Amino acid sequence: MDNILVTDPMRVYRAKRDAARKRVTDKYSILGFISSGTYGRVYKAQSKDSDGRIHAIKKFKPDKEGDVITYTGISQSAIREIALNREISHENIVALKEVILEDKSIYMVFEYAEHDFLQVIHHHSQTLRSSITQPVLKSLTYQLLNGLLYLHDAHIIHRDLKPANILITSSGVVKIGDLGLARLIHQPLQPLHAGDKVVVTIWYRAPELLLGAKHYNKAVDIWAVGCVMAELASLRPIFKGEEAKLDSKKNVPFQKDQLLKIIEILGTPSERDWAKIKDLPEYQNMRRLDPFANRLAQWCQSRIQASGADLLSHLFAYDPDKRLTAAEALQHKWFQEGQLPTRNAFESLPSHQIPPHRRITIDDAPSMMPMPAAGSQVQAQVSQVQATAQAHLSHSHSNHSGKAGSAASFASISAGGGTHTRKKARLG
Amino acid sequence: MATNFWSSSHYKRWLVDRATLRQARSDDILYVDHPEHLGFLNIFFANLISKLGKKLQLRQRVIATATVFFRRFYVKNSYCETDPFIVIAACCYVAAKAEESPVHIKTVVSEARMLFVEEYGIKTFPSDNSKLAEMEFYLVDELECDLTVFHPYRTLMTLCGKEGGGSFPEAEAGEADADDFDGPRYWGTGEGKLELQEGALQMAWFIINDTYRSELCLLYPPHIIAIAAIYLTLVFHAPTRAAIQQAQAQAQPRASTSNSNSHPHGSSQSHSPTRRSSRSMKKPLPQHQHQPQDIVGFMAGLNVSMPLVATVAQEIIALYALWDRYSEEPNVGPAFVQKTTRKGRSAGKVQAQPPAQATAQEGQEGAPVTPMFLVQLLLAMREQRIEDMAHPASGRPVAVNKMLERTQAAG
Ligand SMILES: Nc1ncnc2c1ncn2[C@@H]1O[C@H](COP(=O)(O)OP(=O)(O)O)[C@@H](O)[C@H]1O
Ligand SMILES: [Mg+2]
Repeated sequence: MDNILVTDPMRVYRAKRDAARKRVTDKYSILGFISSGTYGRVYKAQSKDSDGRIHAIKKFKPDKEGDVITYTGISQSAIREIALNREISHENIVALKEVILEDKSIYMVFEYAEHDFLQVIHHHSQTLRSSITQPVLKSLTYQLLNGLLYLHDAHIIHRDLKPANILITSSGVVKIGDLGLARLIHQPLQPLHAGDKVVVTIWYRAPELLLGAKHYNKAVDIWAVGCVMAELASLRPIFKGEEAKLDSKKNVPFQKDQLLKIIEILGTPSERDWAKIKDLPEYQNMRRLDPFANRLAQWCQSRIQASGADLLSHLFAYDPDKRLTAAEALQHKWFQEGQLPTRNAFESLPSHQIPPHRRITIDDAPSMMPMPAAGSQVQAQVSQVQATAQAHLSHSHSNHSGKAGSAASFASISAGGGTHTRKKARLG
Repeated sequence: MATNFWSSSHYKRWLVDRATLRQARSDDILYVDHPEHLGFLNIFFANLISKLGKKLQLRQRVIATATVFFRRFYVKNSYCETDPFIVIAACCYVAAKAEESPVHIKTVVSEARMLFVEEYGIKTFPSDNSKLAEMEFYLVDELECDLTVFHPYRTLMTLCGKEGGGSFPEAEAGEADADDFDGPRYWGTGEGKLELQEGALQMAWFIINDTYRSELCLLYPPHIIAIAAIYLTLVFHAPTRAAIQQAQAQAQPRASTSNSNSHPHGSSQSHSPTRRSSRSMKKPLPQHQHQPQDIVGFMAGLNVSMPLVATVAQEIIALYALWDRYSEEPNVGPAFVQKTTRKGRSAGKVQAQPPAQATAQEGQEGAPVTPMFLVQLLLAMREQRIEDMAHPASGRPVAVNKMLERTQAAG
């Protein structure tokens, strides 16, 4: 007894909590694997509730030391995404239903979105071989700005807007996702640049970031919206630069190629456009690039209606202070004239033009998927039994984690559970 | 979120009533001699969080967030079934991340060990990072992933126009334009702004710090706590009090005649309180730019429940009375009796203690409660609890007597 107190005073506590905890597989059947990203893997899942609703479950990578999964601390990115999602709620932001912490992994359960901007772009360029229609383009852009307005009003900068992170439900409602890089900028204790050296995927990165500005703001998201809108209109990234990699000392290099791609279309920024540009660290580097004139209007000609092009040019204002805010952009005349934006962005489309359902696959990491033959019912039973057993047993943690370590996954939770020997809790 | 306290997780899920707090301590209270000891533990734990936070170079707001996490954890758990020291370390570790000023886990473990093992003799504190990371996991679960916390500091600074703008009561949400990175934005004319002398502002800030030694952050919204702290400042900050008394003496004769009048200050923009509340003003405001603000009037004009503010102010006073019988001397023992300037750290406390009461109490209770006493108490509580859980048939022990024996044996 004294031994427990000395070696592991929290054991009683953990046993209690572990027994009470509902496991992911108690609540959801995993239908398939959607995607593997920087921070984790995303699965499609169905709630075992009577509503049988479909969800996307994002499982953060557990940390490994060798083969054994161990606790190494929750990443800043997960903390952000969780903390921000718990506070917000808006029709155009993907809703977090719950978070489950289990077996050293974090599972975020989101409402399911059937499509995303990237997929819509692919569908048009590969399958339909035609551009996205103006009504769809307008509705998607409007809803994106509407979600962004909510975030910005809540003092949140997203910092990673790009087609893959902007989702669309089957009823055509845009949902901004992936708040893994987002942060609250309200009365920051530290300047933003102190936290993350590099923000925003290179093609969507605003010029002030490329020029090394220490202070940046919501306007970086607006730039990214411009890039996304242009990409929807042309089906390829408008500024598709090569990223210069961090050097060995982790210094951020001058992103020459990316800046060049921007300048080729928007022209070389002048001090008249952007007074503070000359104070930015990479200004001298930029001046060494060949000069170009602005040819955005030409670029838009075959792609975007006149007033849509006008909106785009204001989203692409070089000076972040002159760039439109989300609120201003929503007031733009493009959204007030002609066909108005619709709540179902696909409303105007014939059904065969609506992008197909999200493809789900068998997880390439075999342990991540339920066994194909088992079917979700069997699996449900297995995990039910296991849950019951779990509730009555409490186990020595160290004992069990070594074993589960090699395969902490949905499959191992249900299939591997029985193989662990568990002892009845002895408190004395 | 940040714009709106009323839709935050803090407001919706984490303000509890007294009954809930009593329930939360219902096991712990079985193992202490006197319910007061739980109050001393509140002080002790907050001090530890603050000490660890300072070693980790966390800002005050991060320390406050860590303390709120700790309190929330113990709304759902008992001291006697957990190890509060690892919980404290986890709270600091998570708070640092939640407030975007992360500290490496190694640093937290080593600083926590230095503090707990070396200063307080808590040998159970683990040396391995994964134990802290494991605790973090359980902590985040207990917190239901609600990691955004609102603090009274923000209300104070907003009311005093020190950071950003915004008007009350949305002030809790502080409307500082976050895009303004060049520094805090000061309000122009000071309209609707509380004009506290620098020393008074600091005292209010310190009183807010002190409130984290209690469970107030679980019971009341932060802006109420801030306003209560300002009220106490008006009473205890001598220069401010003198100024108020003087202003009132001058205002008195006019006030009696202007009660039913339309607002005599209707045209004086720069010193009027928030516009919506001017109706409730009874006393005329100074007509002149350079006369001091009618602070009492300003406060009365805020759109909050004054009885509630008074209740909180009383609870803060009660905290100081209790705190006065506590001595923050980690190594109290015959060889190490050396008075530090414990009182100097708390500006609020210095003035707020009713001296007569303090002496009376000391006479009754003898020596002040020390961290060493509380550390022993915690160990004894936990041992006893485990024993009880192992032998449930024997029923609940007479905790008080056993407690005493054990504490004496241990000491
Ligand atoms: N709610 C959801 N519904 C459907 N698919 C989703 C959902 N959330 C994410 N996805 C898919 O998973 C991918 C990765 O998710 P994301 O949150 O962006 O994680 P990461 O941080 O790894 O980029 C997305 O690009 C999208 O294809
Ligand atoms: Mg992503």
